[in-house]
Amino acid sequence: MKVLDFIVSLGASVMMPIILTILGLLLGAKFGKAIRSGLTVGIGFIGLNLVIGMLSDNLGPAAQQMVERTGLNLTIIDVGWPAAAAISFASKVGALIIPLGLAINIVMLLTRTTRTVNIDIWNYWHFAFTGALVSAATNSLVLGLIASAIDMIIVMVLADLTGPNVEKFNGLPGVSLPHGFSAAYVPIAIVINKIIDMIPGIKDIEADPESLQQRFGIFGEPMIIGTILGIIIGALAGYDVRGVLNIGITMGAALVLIPKMAAMLMEGLIPISDAAQEFIQKKFKTQSKLFIGLDSAVAIGHPASMAASLVLVPVTVFLAGVLPGNRVLPFADLAVIPFMLCMIVPVTKGNVFRTLIIGFICISVGLLIATNMAPLHTQLAIDAQFAIPEGATMIASICDGANPLVWIILRLMETKAIGIGLLAIVAVGLVIFNYKKGQEENKSIAA
Amino acid sequence: MTQKNILVACGTGICTSTMATKKLQEALKKRGKDGKVKITQCKVSELVSKAHDVDLIISTTTVPSSIKTPVVMGTAFLTGVGIDKVTDEIIDILGI
Repeated sequence: MKVLDFIVSLGASVMMPIILTILGLLLGAKFGKAIRSGLTVGIGFIGLNLVIGMLSDNLGPAAQQMVERTGLNLTIIDVGWPAAAAISFASKVGALIIPLGLAINIVMLLTRTTRTVNIDIWNYWHFAFTGALVSAATNSLVLGLIASAIDMIIVMVLADLTGPNVEKFNGLPGVSLPHGFSAAYVPIAIVINKIIDMIPGIKDIEADPESLQQRFGIFGEPMIIGTILGIIIGALAGYDVRGVLNIGITMGAALVLIPKMAAMLMEGLIPISDAAQEFIQKKFKTQSKLFIGLDSAVAIGHPASMAASLVLVPVTVFLAGVLPGNRVLPFADLAVIPFMLCMIVPVTKGNVFRTLIIGFICISVGLLIATNMAPLHTQLAIDAQFAIPEGATMIASICDGANPLVWIILRLMETKAIGIGLLAIVAVGLVIFNYKKGQEENKSIAA
Repeated sequence: MTQKNILVACGTGICTSTMATKKLQEALKKRGKDGKVKITQCKVSELVSKAHDVDLIISTTTVPSSIKTPVVMGTAFLTGVGIDKVTDEIIDILGI
């Protein structure tokens, strides 16, 4: 543990290359490749830090002024999932998440409690995020790792359960989506969808995805959204024309550049995820029917998900202003609303209206969750030596920072014994249920 | 001969498209065709405004039905199953 403490204390941009190089070597990558992938991630981290620094330096003061002038109390800046991913991987839990995740997946496959081979190593960061928050809140690495494990087990079961519908509605044979963010909304979607089924009139409403996509298409382009939002915030802050235009372009730049930096993190992880994929796929070739677990990004293009998320972009901005209790200024994660909806779509069977209603509820609750988790989220960023401007500004994300599953796990784990017991019961229950379901399906295939 | 333009699209323009682009480059390099194409990435929601400038779209997710440019599904580059077949298809469509 001493060694780990030292490596983590070096700061993320040094620690990530070291950890990833070691991990790459352990998984059988060549030294040159391992060190290049480690460095790529380190560089991505530094790039991300620069852009987010620029974002908070500009948006922070503007948001403050906006609060003073208009009374809109939105001082928590949504810096987006790329920062959440980076600070998750940069935490102690994050340093251990890849081996932990692989181990959990292998054990679940061996015990036939999952049928998903999760090769989407990149998205292990969602599990790391949950664990990192818990570890920061409880001051315990072990509790953090337990939280990550419980999160992953729940998500793996959800991936198995939704797999057949993903095959059917997204045209992705043999694919399931063990995605820590998208899958979290499946249980909520199932409940609300059932409720809508019972309301006469409402249950028959349908909307046309194509025309919605055309009308709201502009909200799918980051440079346009970023610039427009920047201009609006600048105007609300009472800047002069020069200031308004400047913050407009700067925000457009931030929204385009942040994901580019995240792409470097992602690219650096590819050799490792390749090696892990080969390792795990070779081992489980013989099992009857297995899903390959991919990033839920592959399901985003469904017209219902696209249309509903485009509509939700302006709705979210408006909601942030009027929702009592919300203090988050939505920004970077407006681009990832589709991730919230993409696994709701198979539940609503592609109904845009229902997807929109469920999305609206999830976003409203999400803003409050993000507000609630912002202090811890900010703490994590500071621990990872991220450049957070001095003063009152806090950061959040309306992606994982607003994830109800993460929030529930976090708040339960904080109660220690009772919460952990409860979560363990849920996880074990789900796993047994999933095992039985898998056995039944195997029987019906055999018969 | 001018280079053909390929646009690799995914939900975010970052995650799965980065993966697919890497694998596509490797597959093309193996056949000595990597110099003949120029690959860029984008978000699937940007396709409507970017599609008409390119020769081929490779997408890891469903694309809007209004797109007239040829589209190849890139799921194989993510799962690792059937990369050769998709690469053949891509070379065939581009005529390189």
